[in-house]
Amino acid sequence: MTEIERYYAPASLEQAVDCLQEAGGVTVLAGGTDLMPQKNAGRLKPQRTLMNIRGIAELRGVELSGGEIRIGALTTITDLLENPLVRQHLPQLIEACNHFASDQIRNVATLGGNICNASPAGDTLVPLLVLDARVDLVSRPEGRMLRRGLPVAEFFVGPGKTRKAPTELLAGVTIPLPPENYLGRFFKFGTRPALDIATISIGFGGILEGGVLSRVRVAFGAVAATPVRASHTEAALEGRPLTEATIAAAAAAARDEVTPIDDVRASAWYRKELIHNMTKRILDHVAHA
Amino acid sequence: MSVSEKPRFIAQESLIGTRVTKMDAPEKIEGKTRYIHDISLPGQLHAKILRSGRVHARILSIDTRAARALPGVHAVITAADVPDQRPIGVVRDHLPLKGDRVRSLRDEIAAVAADTEEIAAQALSLIEVEYEDLPLLANPEDSQKPGAPVLHDDHPDNVAMRFEYSHGDVRAGEAESDVVLEDTFKLHYVTHCCMGVSGIIVEFDASGSLLMYSNTQVPFLHKREFADYLGMDPSRVRIIQPPIGGGFGSKLDIYPFEVICVFLARAAKRPVKLLFTREEEFLASPTRQPVLLTLRSGCKKDGTLTFRQVHTLHDNGAYTSWGATTPFVMMQTFSSLYRVPHCDYHTVAVYTNNPYAGSFRGYGNLQATFAIEQHMDMMAEAIGMEPLEFRLKNAQDAGEVTGQGMSFKSCGFKECLTTAAARSDYSRKRRENLEQRQSGGPVKRGIGMASMLHVGGGAKIYPSDGCGTILKLDDFAHVTLITGASEIGQGSETVLSQLVCEELGLPMSAVTVVNNDTAITPWDVGVHASRTTFIAGNSAIGAAKKAKVKILAAAAKKLECAEADLDLRGGWVIRAASGEALLDLPRLLRSLHFSDKAELVMTTFYYEPPSVHQDKAFKGDVSAAYAWATQVVEVEVDTETGIVRMNRVTAAHDVGRVLNRLGIEGQIEGGVVMGQGYALTENLLVEMGVMKNPNFRDYKLVTAPEIPEMDISFIESMDGEGPQGAKGVGEAPAICVAAATANAIYNATGVRMFDLPFTPERVYRALAGKSEKLCWKPE
Repeated sequence: MTEIERYYAPASLEQAVDCLQEAGGVTVLAGGTDLMPQKNAGRLKPQRTLMNIRGIAELRGVELSGGEIRIGALTTITDLLENPLVRQHLPQLIEACNHFASDQIRNVATLGGNICNASPAGDTLVPLLVLDARVDLVSRPEGRMLRRGLPVAEFFVGPGKTRKAPTELLAGVTIPLPPENYLGRFFKFGTRPALDIATISIGFGGILEGGVLSRVRVAFGAVAATPVRASHTEAALEGRPLTEATIAAAAAAARDEVTPIDDVRASAWYRKELIHNMTKRILDHVAHA
Repeated sequence: MSVSEKPRFIAQESLIGTRVTKMDAPEKIEGKTRYIHDISLPGQLHAKILRSGRVHARILSIDTRAARALPGVHAVITAADVPDQRPIGVVRDHLPLKGDRVRSLRDEIAAVAADTEEIAAQALSLIEVEYEDLPLLANPEDSQKPGAPVLHDDHPDNVAMRFEYSHGDVRAGEAESDVVLEDTFKLHYVTHCCMGVSGIIVEFDASGSLLMYSNTQVPFLHKREFADYLGMDPSRVRIIQPPIGGGFGSKLDIYPFEVICVFLARAAKRPVKLLFTREEEFLASPTRQPVLLTLRSGCKKDGTLTFRQVHTLHDNGAYTSWGATTPFVMMQTFSSLYRVPHCDYHTVAVYTNNPYAGSFRGYGNLQATFAIEQHMDMMAEAIGMEPLEFRLKNAQDAGEVTGQGMSFKSCGFKECLTTAAARSDYSRKRRENLEQRQSGGPVKRGIGMASMLHVGGGAKIYPSDGCGTILKLDDFAHVTLITGASEIGQGSETVLSQLVCEELGLPMSAVTVVNNDTAITPWDVGVHASRTTFIAGNSAIGAAKKAKVKILAAAAKKLECAEADLDLRGGWVIRAASGEALLDLPRLLRSLHFSDKAELVMTTFYYEPPSVHQDKAFKGDVSAAYAWATQVVEVEVDTETGIVRMNRVTAAHDVGRVLNRLGIEGQIEGGVVMGQGYALTENLLVEMGVMKNPNFRDYKLVTAPEIPEMDISFIESMDGEGPQGAKGVGEAPAICVAAATANAIYNATGVRMFDLPFTPERVYRALAGKSEKLCWKPE
């Protein structure tokens, strides 16, 4: 019944991108937690070659160098939760991982997989947007390694669609190290504590000095075709004192700038209400932090 | 053995009320239990069913040629291949394989038996069906309008069943009322979500007899129905039940997949196994009955109830299963939970192109209780009385015979009310919560109560509500308890063994239960109506008492004393007065067996409860005992999201008597969580006949962190007819939760919700004043 003709498990990044370059028609398998259900439900047709990249050791892990945190694409959600660098510097990402599926799924699901699946509701994507992450894409045209970086905000083009070329592999993400006084928040609304797809999610990052916000980043999940940065909401906050009036204006801007849809999980109206109420709640918490 | 080695049994060590581990728990925890999934018969084929995927359509053609030609396929059947098929179901309105017309998304068109599941699935994909869509009937309210599509030609009014009940004169009751309320309530679709999906294995053996490995809850009714259906001698139909992964009422009816699998086995002349996928389990197993219900209630200023009038519209779905008959139970709650002098009850169950509703733990009582217990709070508020006081004033007592003819011989209702209220500090918290409605943060606290009445001593629906037991003691005093009562995970084999051990003075390890083979076990009507502990328990006790009489008679003869001076304990015949061990039981049994008289201790007993069939007006004492409960639910409502968190449930249940404390706690905890899912999270979304969320991602069962803290009290009313005083408890704990939650949300927010479920968006809408206004009256 299966159309897969070849299974390939490269041991290095070079081998993997070679395969993408040469074979054409490759399905990349990492954790498999999105791939397998999509295949079983008939939503994803496997290509002729199934390439399992789990054996590429260099794609897994977290390191800090040159003022940047680099996270390999094969780093699992459990790895992130247990990593001291992530715990110390990237609180939104930790919070998102804490709301990510179940322990069993976290043990195998990878950050790279969550990014490449490009769900508008993908749990880690909103924090990555807020953290100004860049995706690291690798290919090997004519035998030479080619790396290209792209802000994660530009990476997503629609549900399940990204700017990654078929010959490219996502090697990881790079995140500028947030400053010491950085405030990061993540909120996911689901109808239960975990094992749920976000109805909406909100990421916030910024610096609060003397009651004034700067370097503000706000992003929303599940309110548009991709996870999105909220430029109007950011503008309503940037450089302003975090007063009740500012918070009210930002929450209203948030409600006005999202474009959610009605689906089986929530109506567009309710999603807008949640964006408004929860943006306000997060900012209230930041103001009282 | 010398006299000095004999033990002495001074204190009576009763098993009743102790915590006994379920006999099947260790093997289930270790993953060793062999469910139907694990069973393979030699030569077995695998079956799959092609479903319509259309909601209402005429079938123009079915082309199975390519499927039949596929290597590995052994049988392909459509309606044309089984001209002998006849309708199944409660009113015989459901052909297993549809030949000319489909009426719902799940309708069976064709089926394949093949060497593997994969080949069967591939064969299905090769079957071509042409349809012509027909006008859709999705809304039960539309079913009675002129020009509505007619779903079954022999039901031109789209009505499957009607129920009319009354006692007293509601007009007189209304005339003497100071307060009259009328509201419409709307209850949604939920489904059982058994961990084990539906399945069956069918084999015709060498002699042509039919053997089915089945998960049914009613093996003896099934046996008869299949024999009748196939024109076979019932004695040539045998049903074996492997361990069943959950029932909750879902396995009370005969379903198309079972009949289809029999047809496939007949056609392929091989054993055939059919297992649902999880998605198929959602699409093609029955649901709880969705109901639109208008309740009119009245009372006097002093808090005396005056009348109740109920109209309900049941959405049957495309076919009629047990869901249509839930009014049997609903009307009991309206007529008899409280003393109400005048009561009318009317139901119309109508056809639509929606999923069809079956029986589900509580059997209509969750729906009825949701309405009645909200009205109790609302009437109390209208006359300025405390909800607890108002309920106590109208609650039933032992000795009462209701307008419907139910006779309450034991009744702990008032004690349930006062216990649950006291243990939850209900009245104080209710008052305090009222004060924080207008002040404080966005999260509001609420407390609400609801009570229920349910059958607790079986229900005489069939010609017999009985159960048979065969009991044998072997040469080593090991007991084999052969009972008609099925184990579906509820713990019946454990509690039945406990009752037998109590009579015979043996440890739990001395019993083996045989309960899953119609060729061996005596008749039982099935697992339903919270009846197994009560009915099968009394049956098991009856057989054990007969065995005890026989043993003590033999012992008395040997010891040359009176039988009354003797008793059984710890595997010994003892002197009742002193506890002194007199005869080793295995040795006594062997001496009976290997003697001139060559006697074995084997007994049988058939227990039929002293209940009666209701008459045509639905009056009569249908159960041998009745169960009562009050539950108090405490919630927090986040008014900025609509999330309702259930923090605590205080439950007080009149269970007659606790037999297995561990088992009954498990029943109540599980039932409360099922009620919590009904109230807060579970919602089978059906839009224009199409199920939108047939998966556990979007159909939300309650998960572990959401389960509330529970405080469970048992009111032991010691029922005179019950086994050791016990009453049934299986359905009771699920019944009150949604009603109590509605009252708690009102207490927290001042907003009353008349429709379920209380999912965040629906609660948020209600708080924003944007709910659908419900108002329904029959034409």
